[in-house]
Amino acid sequence: MAHEITAPHYGFLIDASLCIDCRTCMVSCSVENNVSMDTTRIWIEETGVTGTFPDLKRYTVPYHCMHCVDPSCASACTVGALHRNEEGIVTYDKDICIGCRYCMYACPFEVPNYEWEATLPLVVKCDMCAARLDEGQQPACATTCPTGAIRFGLYEDMLAEAHRMINENPGKYVNHVYGEEENGGTATLYISPVPFEELGFPIAGTSSPAYSNRLVTEGTPLVAGAMLVGLSGAYLTIKHLKEEAAAERREAEHAHAGEDHE
Amino acid sequence: MILRRVIAELRAMPKFIYVLAAIAAFGIGVGLYRMAVGLGPTTNLTDESPWGIWISFDLATVALSGGAFTLAALVYVFQFDSLHAAVRPTVLAGLLGYSSVLVILLFDLGRWDRFYNVFLHPNFSSALLEVSWCIAAYSTILIYEFSPVLLQNSRLKWLLPTIKKYLIPLVIVGVTLSTMHQSSLGTLFVIMSPRVHPLWYSMLLPVFFLVSSLAAGISMVIAGATVSYWLFGRSLKIKTLSQLSWFLPWILGFYLVLKFGELIIANELDLLTEGGRYTALFWTELIIGAAIPIMLFAMKQVRTSRAASLFGASLVLGGVILNRFDVTWFGMKASGASYTPHWMEVALLVGVLSGVVLVYSLIARYFPVYEETYAVERAAKAAPAPALDGARPAEA
Repeated sequence: MAHEITAPHYGFLIDASLCIDCRTCMVSCSVENNVSMDTTRIWIEETGVTGTFPDLKRYTVPYHCMHCVDPSCASACTVGALHRNEEGIVTYDKDICIGCRYCMYACPFEVPNYEWEATLPLVVKCDMCAARLDEGQQPACATTCPTGAIRFGLYEDMLAEAHRMINENPGKYVNHVYGEEENGGTATLYISPVPFEELGFPIAGTSSPAYSNRLVTEGTPLVAGAMLVGLSGAYLTIKHLKEEAAAERREAEHAHAGEDHE
Repeated sequence: MILRRVIAELRAMPKFIYVLAAIAAFGIGVGLYRMAVGLGPTTNLTDESPWGIWISFDLATVALSGGAFTLAALVYVFQFDSLHAAVRPTVLAGLLGYSSVLVILLFDLGRWDRFYNVFLHPNFSSALLEVSWCIAAYSTILIYEFSPVLLQNSRLKWLLPTIKKYLIPLVIVGVTLSTMHQSSLGTLFVIMSPRVHPLWYSMLLPVFFLVSSLAAGISMVIAGATVSYWLFGRSLKIKTLSQLSWFLPWILGFYLVLKFGELIIANELDLLTEGGRYTALFWTELIIGAAIPIMLFAMKQVRTSRAASLFGASLVLGGVILNRFDVTWFGMKASGASYTPHWMEVALLVGVLSGVVLVYSLIARYFPVYEETYAVERAAKAAPAPALDGARPAEA
């Protein structure tokens, strides 16, 4: 089973230097998806207050599903409720999910959350407002962001724009587009004036753990087949050897008995 | 008439049976409450720690139930006939171990109401799918393997020859399924490279889990047989046990070579001397669970003594249990708040465990689980259990 990895169709470009922590994105996410503010699919990461008085600084940035090109959650999901579609959106099928919560541990960005207070809970995760996209609209968070910190468009354009912003504003941003390489590439891209660790972003490798996972799980049927053959072979061989040994013993006894008669 | 017999039977039951039943009933009650109100009020699970003590318990229990496939492979496939007497109690313990895991998993699933989607919507790249399919299939095979014990004195006795006819192929499938799910429980964590501490993380996790489950399984047979010797006066011959424990130093030695070899290849040896919680846990696991038992079971005096064997087996079991808790919990880097289980999580676990011990005790009392029976003096003085008469050497 070859796993085909395609570039995302859509992309986010999120600029930490523009975020003012107004949380409009969270409100619009809550309205769009009809959930309480505690369970929005977007939230704010921050550096905390840094520096010494009076030069205090605090950076914030909206954070939601990265929409990986090779998502660990989709690879881990027991029932295939998480799935990356043709447009590169990692979608969640709430009608299939069994609530094993494996995706929550599998995601290197710790994105999927859970409705802990519900009797029959579901996973909470950004789906790029797929329903709005179908109607030709942008995701709610990008539409409502008053400072333009969240931008949305074609992935190629967002990536080019990220590099343009860094190159044309020397010293303003750290020279790193978070999400370009992280976890094998993601549709959500970030630029920031401070290193991403300080914003609390995980340091992710350049390949997705989904790859290691496939290496093992896709080899399993082969190992199982080999074991079935091997064990059957071992059983038949040992059985045969034992029967032969028993037959020899009987013959020897017989011959022995014969000698006694003479 | 029947009622009077049941009452008499209940009166003759040892006291601990009632204690177990009470604890089990309370635990299941807590479980039903969890079903009614959800995971939030009844557990301390969070978005940072979405898996808790239930998953750690499941992994440890599956490893401890590894005796069933280890022994089935040794006796039926590799035809070590002398170990035959150990098969029944081990298969029963395995069956009950897996049943408890399935019960706990059902309580753990957020959407337990649609667990069947595991079969309707499989995702074949998921290690958890592999685990659930294998465990479901293997539990069925364990029931098959154990059914002769239940049917032997019943009206369905005529089924026995048919059951025996298909036993070997099914055992082979069962051993394969076990190998698959014991290892794929380790595969579960291969995808969590950013989360699991590098002392435990490895692409070889499936192999680590498989090898340690062999040691845990054998140790479980030894511990179970010894405890049963003291409690019920029914057990396996010490000779059978010493044959089994002979394998332990080899398996555990191989395990140690794998573990340290992996650290050398991954260039992570410095973690061993780093100090702190993780280093301490790692060394505890390997010294208590592997190094000391290797030295113990290398000695013939230990292998031929019930008490010493039980001690050594307990060390192995402790090490393997700690390993599963390390991988799933203690060695898992939680970004936010650390996790300690809610009392209801613990109550459900203890309840299910009591239930398992209860069912095992009852089956061992009424069915010929142990083929070789010893009328220990202590047991002979007490009122002999009715099943003692029923116990007889019989074909599988």
